[in-house]
Amino acid sequence: MPGKLSAWPARVDVLQSLSGLLLVLFVWAHMFFESSILLGEDAMYRVTKMFEGEPLFGKPYPLLVSAVGIAVLTLVVVHAVLALRKFPGSSRQYGQLRQHMGALRHPDTTLWYVQCVTGFLLFFLVSVHLYTVITQPGNIGPYASADRIWSERFWIVYALLLVTVHLHAAIGVYRLAMKWYPPTGANPRAHRRRRKRAMWCILAFFLTLGCASLLTYMYLGYQHADRAGERYQPGTTVLATEED
Amino acid sequence: MQIIHTDVLVIGGGLAGQRAAIGARRRGHKAIVLSLVPAKRSHSAAAQGGMQASLGNCLGASGDNEDIHFADTVRGSDWGADQAVVRMFTHTAPKAIRELAAWGVPWNRVQRGERDITVDGQRQRIEESDAAHGLITSRNFGGTGKWRACYVSDGTGHAMLYTMSNQAIAAGIPVHERMEAMALIHDGERCSGAIVRDLRTGELLAYIAKATCIATGGFGRIYRVSTNAVINEGMGAAIALETGIAQLGNMEAIQFHPTAIVPAGILVTEGCRGDGGLLLDRAGHRFMPDYEPDKMELASRDVVSRRMEQHIAAGQGVQGRFGEHLWLDIRLLGAAHIEHNLREVKEICRYFLGIDPVSELIPVRPAQHYSMGGVRTDHTGHSPQLRGLFAAGEAACWDIHGFNRLGGNSVAETVVAGMIVGDSMADFCDSAEGSLQLSTALVDRFARRERERLAAIASGSGGESAFEITRLMQETMTANVGIFRHGAGLQQAVEALQVLQRRAANITLRSSAAGPNPELVAAYRVQRMLKLAQCVAYGALQRTESRGAHYRADFPRRNDQKWLRRTLASWPSASAELPTLDYEVLDIMRMELPPGWRGYGDKDYIAHPDASARQREIDAVVAALGDTDRYRRQQALMPFKHLLPGHLRGRNARLGDPT
Amino acid sequence: MNTIPVSEAPRSLLIRILRHNPCDPDSAPHFESFELEEAEAMTLFIALNEIRQTLDPSLQFDFVCRAGICGSCGMIINGRPGLACRTLTRDLPQCITLAPLPGFELIGDLSVNTGKWMRGMAERLETWVHAQHLERVDIDQLEQRMEPELAEKLYELERCIECGCCIAACGTAQMHEDFVGAVGLNQVTRFHLDPRDERSDAEFYQLVGDETGVFGCMTLLGCEDYCPKDLPLATQIAFLRRRMVATAR
Ligand SMILES: Cc1cc2nc3c(=O)[nH]c(=O)nc-3n(C[C@H](O)[C@H](O)[C@H](O)COP(=O)(O)OP(=O)(O)OC[C@H]3O[C@@H](n4cnc5c(N)ncnc54)[C@H](O)[C@@H]3O)c2cc1C
Ligand code: HEM
Ligand code: HEM
Ligand code: SF4
Ligand code: F3S
Ligand code: FES
Repeated sequence: MPGKLSAWPARVDVLQSLSGLLLVLFVWAHMFFESSILLGEDAMYRVTKMFEGEPLFGKPYPLLVSAVGIAVLTLVVVHAVLALRKFPGSSRQYGQLRQHMGALRHPDTTLWYVQCVTGFLLFFLVSVHLYTVITQPGNIGPYASADRIWSERFWIVYALLLVTVHLHAAIGVYRLAMKWYPPTGANPRAHRRRRKRAMWCILAFFLTLGCASLLTYMYLGYQHADRAGERYQPGTTVLATEED
Repeated sequence: MQIIHTDVLVIGGGLAGQRAAIGARRRGHKAIVLSLVPAKRSHSAAAQGGMQASLGNCLGASGDNEDIHFADTVRGSDWGADQAVVRMFTHTAPKAIRELAAWGVPWNRVQRGERDITVDGQRQRIEESDAAHGLITSRNFGGTGKWRACYVSDGTGHAMLYTMSNQAIAAGIPVHERMEAMALIHDGERCSGAIVRDLRTGELLAYIAKATCIATGGFGRIYRVSTNAVINEGMGAAIALETGIAQLGNMEAIQFHPTAIVPAGILVTEGCRGDGGLLLDRAGHRFMPDYEPDKMELASRDVVSRRMEQHIAAGQGVQGRFGEHLWLDIRLLGAAHIEHNLREVKEICRYFLGIDPVSELIPVRPAQHYSMGGVRTDHTGHSPQLRGLFAAGEAACWDIHGFNRLGGNSVAETVVAGMIVGDSMADFCDSAEGSLQLSTALVDRFARRERERLAAIASGSGGESAFEITRLMQETMTANVGIFRHGAGLQQAVEALQVLQRRAANITLRSSAAGPNPELVAAYRVQRMLKLAQCVAYGALQRTESRGAHYRADFPRRNDQKWLRRTLASWPSASAELPTLDYEVLDIMRMELPPGWRGYGDKDYIAHPDASARQREIDAVVAALGDTDRYRRQQALMPFKHLLPGHLRGRNARLGDPT
Repeated sequence: MNTIPVSEAPRSLLIRILRHNPCDPDSAPHFESFELEEAEAMTLFIALNEIRQTLDPSLQFDFVCRAGICGSCGMIINGRPGLACRTLTRDLPQCITLAPLPGFELIGDLSVNTGKWMRGMAERLETWVHAQHLERVDIDQLEQRMEPELAEKLYELERCIECGCCIAACGTAQMHEDFVGAVGLNQVTRFHLDPRDERSDAEFYQLVGDETGVFGCMTLLGCEDYCPKDLPLATQIAFLRRRMVATAR
């Protein structure tokens, strides 16, 4: 391109949005797999084995999960680095922003701020989670996960992660839509209100789903606490063994 | 004191000023524009309805040309205009609009095919031709024979001013904003710039220029109820008056616009009526046809305003919370039309009245709107008395409006005059007369005078309040120098203004705030405004006839025998209490259109014997020419092209011209 | 019986104004309160003038058209940017807080230098029709044709009155002084749409293709929500963003 401005600002802008979008899609999909626990330990077990490639190779390769984890982490890092540019760069800017928001009390500006704050928190929370996933890919399964969540007290991390990531994701998608394809037509304001309502509905859905599965993991972990460390065998359940 | 040198100093950043600056800049001269406010906020931005130019594109305009525009303008002026200048104007207006079109103004365009319009309260279906599709369209306006007002929805002035300003920025013309010209520097014969006050810091500066142009707009704020912006205080005309040399023309010719909303006085465009809106009284009765069966709501503004006041006086006004008013009804135009072509009107109704004009009536009453008078210039825009001083736009009396301006002719004038005056200033700078040998003593003298004036106000102890005096002046003008005038009221106004002028010399400021100090601004401005107001009131008192917008209840007839003259006011000395009035006779024997009936309003006037003599002469010339085209006929009656800059002399092409 | 409707007793308004006079070395920003009796159909234009005329003649503010069309009177009204001249006091609570628009050089009290900012923006973004031979258009000939809808669309974008509300309402602009804001981006789209402007997308990219231009916008949407002229700013910025991305490829 001729001239002094390079094509990079454009590319970077797309990359920021694209990385965010991919992450959202990943997290949303991940929620469905991860909450397979709601359908029972067996369902969850089968999902984990599927991701370890058992149906394909005949035997599980947990390293596959590590690989995906590394890929996702890379994406997160890329996204975070790009997004970090948008953070207030100095305390002066931060002060101006706070004052501006305080006076204006403008909903969409507040949403963006929520995204910044959750993004900042995510940086740590996601790192912790992905560190676990990448280093102990084999330790994913109905009991392993439940033990981690209950006996190793990871539920605290997950509860925080759950709220922050879904706030960040739902707002992110709404903002992506407004950024690239805002409503046009006769009544754009009404259209925008509908989009925002959709955003809140999605958020509510995933939070409910996440809470339900987290509580299930916690309950499972509590039941399994005395046998923590033991791995799940297909066809058996904690509840079933208790009843036996 | 900072001294800034330039070739051309343009005081005023409205349409007229910026176009003049661009013209001079294009001829290679350095130009600086001064403005009280950012240029794009000048009051030109408020023009809603349209700009007259005889393009003749749409159906309602077909057959239009310079001749019809000329006749409409002269009739509108009630024969007060300078006809040669009107010719220059109507000839150049199509060029001005085409130039603006090339520069970026998104003029509304003709859409081929059928559409519905509202005429005389009825829906009608018309069909625009294929040939005109995409050319600039126009709407109907009062006092015109054709649909001639080209428009950009109802933000015409805004679109024009933004395009103009952007072109000025492109040309690298500096606009010194928040700068107020306080005095013209001159040696009694030659104007050489201005003393200027910085409205951010209160400092005085001197601008020294070969040519100085006053393009400061109107002075409606001498009235209480005005459609004008609050900065329209006439400071440009006032500083010209204060030279004691330059003269102001026809100051008593003040236009009142029929449809200002009540009580804010904000204008809703004439386009409302042009597009088919009606005026209704308390009974919901459409009263204009009773008074003006031919033109009805679309007679010229002076006539409609008078009829409205007459109707209110007859007890037919609507009694509202803020006094009496009438209704403007645009409901019949339909929601789609209002949303597309009258959206500023809709916004104004929503924010200032809390109503929706699609379904509700708009309360209106006439309000001061336009000053036909201003700094008198010759056809090149040059002051005949003070060399190096030029004027353009509403601040000037170039004189195409005479005693009543037609809607849409004003923004057209600003641009056309800007085009012409830009060139004449360049010519002047290039000429021997243009070179400037200026003594610094002269600049210092004027700077000192202004500084002392300000100091005198700041230290005044007479106890008078600037705001109070302004209010009293405005009340006086609205009460006694309004739509209907009579000797006793005018006499009273003249005396009241004299008293106010004395009181204004005794203003005491309550605030000594550093910097611009708004109270100080109000104080020095009211002193100058009072002089303008006096020119209006005193000129109106002397003019014992009715002409155009100047209506004397005690002299209701136009009197061509005595008053086919232009009033010229000058201010003899700083201590004077009244202007000196001179009169310039308009020579009927050189007119292309001798005085007669306007086609609307009263038919009764005192004719001048020359009128029929000139008509006979004209008939003879036309007969002698035999079968010829309109250009040659016009040329034989009143040649004008030689008055124009060379590049503006070409014929205007129109749709359907023989090729 | 009294049939004339009796209106309620007028409210007594409390108007708090953020005051500061940079010309006075002793002045520091502070709030000052004025009490004023509300009148029928009172706008902030009327109220402020009344304060200046009767209570404090040194109060600085800007009004020109007082009709909502010139863009002079943008200020922060109870925290929100808006045009003071067309704000009716009856739509506001009894206590009204006024402050100058942030993001612009302060001239004094409620008066800010939007003009200087806008001129800078216009020069930086070259907001005028760029065409060759513009000085030599033959103005004797018929004008270039244009589709009627296109003309209307251009006017739609041209309705901006450079009031600065979108700058005051934009967190990005508040943090980054060199951001051209919605007002600038909208004007670029206006000239981009105009067939008379001969600039290519690549040339437009040179004007807005960085963080001070379209890629600086973080879609905060304050501009769109507080634009007094209801301009479709989000749509225009998104359009420009997509076009500029397509150009950069
Ligand atoms: C509400 C309204 C609607 C109108 N609608 C139409 C219409 O539809 N069609 C039409 O043809 N006409 C219309 N007019 C009339 C027309 O708009 C004006 O006559 C015309 O725009 C005046 O332009 P101008 O350039 O002469 O002055 P303005 O645009 O008024 O500009 C005056 C300039 O002078 C500057 N200035 C003033 N005093 C000083 C000083 N002392 N020192 C430095 N600078 C100074 C100001 O800052 C400003 O920049 C309308 C008028 C009004 C009030
Ligand atoms: C881990 C650290 C993360 C940080 C620091 C972070 C930070 C941010 C910030 C500050 C923004 C706003 C950028 C802007 O408005 O231009 C943003 C946008 C976004 N984020 Fe994140 N985020 C992180 C992780 C994630 C994750 C895990 C997801 C997916 C769920 C995600 C999805 C999005 C989306 C969709 C956007 C909108 C993109 C855009 O506006 O172009 N982010 N992120
Ligand atoms: C390859 C990458 C990932 C894998 C394999 C994975 C796997 C899992 C698993 C198995 C759980 C259940 C708890 C546990 O076993 O510890 C879980 C929970 C969770 N994960 Fe992930 N995860 C991945 C990436 C992410 C990312 C990138 C995010 C968000 C940024 C995320 C957000 C969450 C959340 C919020 C929970 C808690 C869910 C709940 O409360 O029900 N995960 N993840
Ligand atoms: S875009 Fe709207 S808010 Fe911004 S300056 Fe223009 S009119 Fe004002
Ligand atoms: S508020 Fe600012 S960040 Fe963008 S969407 Fe509007 S310009
Ligand atoms: S004064 Fe012109 S918009 Fe308010």
